[in-house]
Amino acid sequence: MKHVWRRTTAGLALVALAAVAITASAGASPTKHSSPLAGYPRSQTLITSGTQWGNIAGTNPYTGNYAAGMIGLDLETLLRFNPVTGNYINWLAKSATWTAAKRFKIVVRSGVKWGDGKPFTGSDVAYNLRLARFNTSQWHNLYLNVKAIAAHGNTVMVVFKGTPNYIQWQNAMWNIPMISPSQSKTIITNAASLTTYSPGNPIGTGPYQMDSKGFDPTTRVVWVKKAHWWAADQGISPSPKPKYIIDLVNTSNTNSLAAVLAGVEDLNNNYLPGVNKLVDTGKVSTYYKKAPYMLSANTAWLEPNTTHKPLNDPVFRRALAESININQIVTQDYQNLVLPASPTGLLPTWSKYVDQAAVKANGFKYSTADAVKLLTNAGYKRDSSGMFMNKDGSKIDLDLSVPQGWSDWEAARDMIISSAKTAGIRITAKVKDFNTWQSDRNTGNFDLVVDNNYQISDNPWTYWNGIYHLPILTTGTGQTNFNFERYSNPAAWALVQKLDRTPLSNTAAIKEINSKLQTTLMKDLPLIPLWYNGQWAQFTSKYWTNWPAAGSRQYTPVMWGGYLQMTGIDMFTPLNLMGGADPSTHPTRRPRGRRPGGAPAPAAPSKESPCFATSSGSSSSTA
Amino acid sequence: MLRYFIRKLFVYGLTFVVAVTIDWAIPHLMPGNPVLTLVGRIQVQDPKVAQQLYDHYMRAFNLDLPLWKQYGYFWISLFHGDLGTSILEFPTSVTSIIVHAIPYTLGLLIPAILLSWYAGNKVGALAARRKVLDNSVLPASYALTATPYMWLAILLVFVFGITLSLFPVGFAYSPTAVRGFTWSFGVDVLHHWFLPFLSLFLVSFGGWAIGMRNMIIYELESDYAHYLEALGAPQRLVRKYAFRNAMLPQITGLALVLGAIIAGALVTEIVFSYPGLGYQIYRAITNEDYFVIQGIFLFIIVGVLIANFVVDIVYVIVDPRTRIGMQGGRS
Repeated sequence: MKHVWRRTTAGLALVALAAVAITASAGASPTKHSSPLAGYPRSQTLITSGTQWGNIAGTNPYTGNYAAGMIGLDLETLLRFNPVTGNYINWLAKSATWTAAKRFKIVVRSGVKWGDGKPFTGSDVAYNLRLARFNTSQWHNLYLNVKAIAAHGNTVMVVFKGTPNYIQWQNAMWNIPMISPSQSKTIITNAASLTTYSPGNPIGTGPYQMDSKGFDPTTRVVWVKKAHWWAADQGISPSPKPKYIIDLVNTSNTNSLAAVLAGVEDLNNNYLPGVNKLVDTGKVSTYYKKAPYMLSANTAWLEPNTTHKPLNDPVFRRALAESININQIVTQDYQNLVLPASPTGLLPTWSKYVDQAAVKANGFKYSTADAVKLLTNAGYKRDSSGMFMNKDGSKIDLDLSVPQGWSDWEAARDMIISSAKTAGIRITAKVKDFNTWQSDRNTGNFDLVVDNNYQISDNPWTYWNGIYHLPILTTGTGQTNFNFERYSNPAAWALVQKLDRTPLSNTAAIKEINSKLQTTLMKDLPLIPLWYNGQWAQFTSKYWTNWPAAGSRQYTPVMWGGYLQMTGIDMFTPLNLMGGADPSTHPTRRPRGRRPGGAPAPAAPSKESPCFATSSGSSSSTA
Repeated sequence: MLRYFIRKLFVYGLTFVVAVTIDWAIPHLMPGNPVLTLVGRIQVQDPKVAQQLYDHYMRAFNLDLPLWKQYGYFWISLFHGDLGTSILEFPTSVTSIIVHAIPYTLGLLIPAILLSWYAGNKVGALAARRKVLDNSVLPASYALTATPYMWLAILLVFVFGITLSLFPVGFAYSPTAVRGFTWSFGVDVLHHWFLPFLSLFLVSFGGWAIGMRNMIIYELESDYAHYLEALGAPQRLVRKYAFRNAMLPQITGLALVLGAIIAGALVTEIVFSYPGLGYQIYRAITNEDYFVIQGIFLFIIVGVLIANFVVDIVYVIVDPRTRIGMQGGRS
């Protein structure tokens, strides 16, 4: 009996172990034969993490959870956007310009090829633009205003019915991914199939292609460098250095930190509390060597429900804003890993739109005394405990929530509560898990939340559109994407719509509208800007050096969706292997010809400077 | 015997229906809406488009229907073997998520359960008759069995993963590993498997060792043991009988704690980011992915019921009294 047990136990244990090994080896991989490689050579592999939460849903760029690198490494866009210089970059499009008020002309760059060797043409662009005819495309609203899309050879002409949404269209030009028509045409036939399309080997025009054998939805996506990439072949960009890029699924902040310290990850895009200490001791590096360490990504703010008393009173909101010690949050909670927000909330990349005179006249500053004065002058009285009451004498006790477990926000919440209390404003923390927090925010079941909603983009219109959007939906799901503060200002909303329909060349009008919108924001404070969340990026130099850095390699250092087609993809080109060997096993032709911007091509792509052409007016000028 | 099994099957069937109903109800009654998160991840500039996307996904998941209809559809799909589609990982099917995760969980659970049960019983039996062992194994076992799975897992990660860097602390294999039937990959998988296995093994081991040690002492003090000794039977034989008798409660115990061990495996996987069912269910619960929660719990419910059933059968085989009792005889 004993022997039987022993044999059975040992046998079952072996079977179970074999099962793990077999699944791990076959798992999600569509092909079950083993690779000739024993492992991806570390010296040719860049390992990143911090983008993919949960399982990787697949390769569909029209859903929100596609494999990291899908757009940028594999699929590319017509234009790109450089948030540091504010310029657009002609990419798959040699040019993209308005030839008349309602006519937009795209000239496709010649010599671009899909991963399957087919040439990239004007009809491919037209095909991708027409995908917006399905109402499951996030660009469907733009398509409704399109009269015709016609492709002739390498030229695509888009004709609009009414006044085009110039700004949204420009934004779409560097965000719509070009997917291969030959791969998708027969699959994407209706709105539903646009959301379920997810090929195992997506064909793109970018420098990398997916290694379907290495793909594991719970663990990683593996990208392999193509033998040829049009941009390197044409001398528009140096070839990215790593032969393999492996992006790991996020597990936890603790594991991320351990992986960074052990050099398992080369680039990590998580928020790691206290990472400044690791930078200061030389264990990791960041974009800036000193505070704020990171570039900014979005604005975190205090979102009041402007339909709730007394938050419906702009004077009260201003007093609340002035009661908050933002510097305390920046220095103590974030240890200077973030920057305090401007009173306009406009990200540093939009600084050229900031109306300094308006800020001086209307911006709020932390001052408990001023907050108290404002409330007293407005007729708010204190109760016996010294806290302010509503004007009708009822008690003020505002709830403030952040998603449970977001420790940096929880600390910020406590600091807001404490500094507001000093000014006589009673706020109580309310603990909500993320889903409840989100649902309550969308349906208006809150007084105050800390939130950040709109990422960096090419134009502050995306920011204003989020803040001032009307109408406010009070039924069903409530507000799904915009105006969670429920601020109703039809004049401001009309200005936002006007801005969208102002040609980018009309810089004076754009400046004026932006000025009015920020004045309204600062006067009415429908939102209270607090700090700028960073483009969290920690680099380790165990294997790779020459990471993005202020002053020299000014690239967006994150793998997050929407960032690689800014200048994220460029961060891989100047990388050097620790020790100096060139990991690139594929020959990159020396640049030839002229750069589209008109300047002669450099003899060889510099490792220190961006080597792409910027569109200083040819395709699309920023305001 | 047949009546016994029919009765058992009926109880199991009833448990299944109730458990599955609870499994369906809990995620649906949670506050929040996962489709909002799904749509929120897509950068949309126009609320009308956002609303259309929202409506599309609500319809795709049947979430626009009244709850009773959703419940009906749930059973219909279940009998068709369709566990639905993950909301957050749309369009991945729940079945593929489970199929991917099962081997990792079973690879942890089966060796951990069987080896800890076997080793715990052996060591417990030894401890019952050796003073030195009793003084060392007993307190250690009490400490281990009282340790929450998660806490021990965190401790192991901290000591062996982070401080000593002897073992990896996440995933089932190295980031640069190429999967295949190679020695190097097998070793890599074992390297990642060892710590989560060890944490499950150690906690369970303690419980079994204590149980067995106490049972053996009890059995050796019983009348039949004294009788055998009086007849001059060798110590070895007496202990063999005592061990056999002591095994019975341990088998029952195995059935009883199966659920707890599985729950332990789930939290252990979360700590080690080990991509089994526990890790997936944690992701699903935090994101309210109804269908993944339902699917995985369904699998666990069925698994626990089957395991209990197997233990019932084993019990009948190893304990002649049960067999005789069922056949109408007297023990």
